[in-house]
Amino acid sequence: MDNKKSQDQNTIDRRDFFKKTAALSATALAGTSLLANEAAGEGDPAIMHHTKWGQKWGDPVTKNQYGIPSAYEHNVIRRSTKLLASGNFRASIAVTPMHESKGIITPNGLFFSRSHGGTAHVDPNEYRLMIHGLVEKPIVLTLDQLKRYPSVTRTHFIECPANGGQEWRGPQFNSVQFAKGFMASAEWTGVYIKTILEDLGLKPEAQWMLAEGSDNSKMGRTVPVDKVLDDAMIVWGQNGEALRPEQGYPVRLLLPGWEGNLCVKWLRRLEFSQEPWYCKEETSKYTDLKPTGKAIQHFYANEVNSTVTSPSPEIPWTDLEDGDVVEIEGLAWSGMGTITGVDLSFDGGKNYVEANLKGLVLSKSWTRWSYMHTYKKGEKLYLTSRAMDDAGYIQPTIDQEVGVMGVEAVYHRNAVETWEVTEEGKVNHVQIRSV
Amino acid sequence: MFKLEAYNKLLVSASVAAVVALSVAGCIEGSATPSASAAAGSLSIDGGVSYPVSNNKTGNYYVNPQTVGAKLNNGRVPNAAEITRWDTDLQPVSELSPEGQGIPEGSGSVEDGETLYEAQCVMCHGDFGSGGGGYPALSKGNAVDLQKTLTNNRWKDPEADGPVRVFGSYWPQVTTLWWYIRDGMPHPFSDSLSVDETYALTAYILNINEMMIDGEEVDDEYVLDRAKFLKIVMPNVDGFEPNIAGANALPAVRAYFGKASNFGGQNLNQGAVRCMTDCQKPTAKVKYIQNGGIKDFIPAMATERDLPKKEAAPLDVKKTYTDSCAMCHSAFLSPGSGDWAGYTPKGMDKVYANGIKGTEGGMPAKGGTSLSDADFKTMVDYLVSGKVK
Repeated sequence: MDNKKSQDQNTIDRRDFFKKTAALSATALAGTSLLANEAAGEGDPAIMHHTKWGQKWGDPVTKNQYGIPSAYEHNVIRRSTKLLASGNFRASIAVTPMHESKGIITPNGLFFSRSHGGTAHVDPNEYRLMIHGLVEKPIVLTLDQLKRYPSVTRTHFIECPANGGQEWRGPQFNSVQFAKGFMASAEWTGVYIKTILEDLGLKPEAQWMLAEGSDNSKMGRTVPVDKVLDDAMIVWGQNGEALRPEQGYPVRLLLPGWEGNLCVKWLRRLEFSQEPWYCKEETSKYTDLKPTGKAIQHFYANEVNSTVTSPSPEIPWTDLEDGDVVEIEGLAWSGMGTITGVDLSFDGGKNYVEANLKGLVLSKSWTRWSYMHTYKKGEKLYLTSRAMDDAGYIQPTIDQEVGVMGVEAVYHRNAVETWEVTEEGKVNHVQIRSV
Repeated sequence: MFKLEAYNKLLVSASVAAVVALSVAGCIEGSATPSASAAAGSLSIDGGVSYPVSNNKTGNYYVNPQTVGAKLNNGRVPNAAEITRWDTDLQPVSELSPEGQGIPEGSGSVEDGETLYEAQCVMCHGDFGSGGGGYPALSKGNAVDLQKTLTNNRWKDPEADGPVRVFGSYWPQVTTLWWYIRDGMPHPFSDSLSVDETYALTAYILNINEMMIDGEEVDDEYVLDRAKFLKIVMPNVDGFEPNIAGANALPAVRAYFGKASNFGGQNLNQGAVRCMTDCQKPTAKVKYIQNGGIKDFIPAMATERDLPKKEAAPLDVKKTYTDSCAMCHSAFLSPGSGDWAGYTPKGMDKVYANGIKGTEGGMPAKGGTSLSDADFKTMVDYLVSGKVK
């Protein structure tokens, strides 16, 4: 076969292939198996025909010197919504595609992004970090000087405390990306602030630290020195490379387990004081109003939480056959410690079985859990997961949480989540509650 | 000097308290609940667990023991001018700090504040701070009256009025407002207002919230200065817990978050039960998403693994106007559509150039969009044409 003919043949095959796969996808949705066509003797075109990539040269290694995902993955992206789009998407959030998340690490390009004045683009050569206030010796550091401290690397999630905060009064998002995607996880590299303070000397009356960003909102938060002297970090590395601009390039604060908002991005200044600051984002927002009329301020840790990530409204079970054995998978996390176990309910939280943890179980980190299920065609399920941590916390029911917090709190909602699997295998976000 | 050893001792004593609490809880509960205590270290200020370094490890992570307590002498001491330039925060009046911290001398009138507001703020925060365009409202009326709505909770009746959380009714300290106006406002061009301008805007916002200072109404003639500012008491100053003021704030915070019932938590060491069978109240029902829920996702949800469509979408003028221009250039605002006489004397090329580059204190470059120059000019033509109306 000469080259010309081969190419033509390939082109025809490919056109034919796409037509067939389109038809097959449609029939698969209608419940017909691919096997029927294969049994007819034609064979799966994905096997039987030449593929475009199987004969010709691929790209040279000199292409994409910073690698990018396959073009076919273009739907695996952060998404936003008008509801959360203050200031022309400058005081806004873009959320992580949880239905596509794998393991306990989020790729940097998919890491949820929340800012209060837009994504700042800081010139690392003009980057300065100032530490002053109630220290014996104030300092200013360049980026190179900061990176000269001995580094530590830790895997932690960062979660916006408004994750799920639109759903206190009832479910609103039929999507795990939007219902649970105000968070992401990475391996962070930086320095413990306590290491820097060994040189500066914290004065005994210091109780609080202001962390302030250099972005146009000068986003600031007050941090108790207890956390500063425990595991607070100043980080510059995210999953083996520099922080992305959306995560505060070149430097952000990382308070493991605590509200994402406290992990101030584009960090430029730390000041120590005896009295707290009452920053805008710890008074007007990020405070939890209770039915008593009092609001919780300085609500630091994201409490124990979990969700099913597969199946999801985005990627349902509509293609499952009777008797298929399928993995129900999810995430559990706690900003207050280490996940010790996850229970799974098939009836919306009436009865539970123990699910299995898998992979690495780290403190203040996403933890994967799994349960193998034999699918019964036409069954209706209400999948509810419930996590526990080593501080003794267990996720509340909606009734328990709302009983104390009411429905106006906005932040820190960690009651159990339920995902309805319909008789057709579709998945809907629901809540089981009597209030 | 604060010693890290002292802090570690504190953790150890907290840890002992935690162990006592755990054993008591075990007696009360007496269930088959697996002990959550095994891995628990010391209790942190947030009510959670911390993992002090022990045998060169913290949790699962190894620690280089040479780095613990190492004293590294990096960086340099900043000079006074550098600290002053960045140290622009304000802290409120308190027992420990009767003059507050960082509150500068200066003054500004409600009248000047209103003029500034109309020029630089109204396009986002609406008339009289009523909100709109995706930016928060600054007032909903009388602050003292509205503070009383904070006990409203829509858990029984979804149609009832909710709590009103704006500056006057909700914020505990006025220093927050002053500080944020000067450092964070106006949003597209922050850190551009003078001290007196900031006092004027603060006065205006106090005015539209119908606030009193030291028994005097902040009326249209009011002039705010530092001395008066120090006397402002917000109606909701006592509306927050735990108490974070004073020299013993941290133990109070620690105690608050040590108790799960304060924040709607369930703790197995504090009487909660890990129920495995027949756990649901008979009254519990499935609640579905109402009216389709929120689904205006950008971009729309999709999970196909196909190739992206290549052709760029043609400019949708009306949609772009709504999404990116209307917030500031809505039909009734200067320079409102069709009311461009004062903006075009130097010709349209100057208008295009200003729009593309942005102007100081006004138009952000291309209005903050990522439009091509050609598409941006189309948008300018659309606004100037008055077709918006």
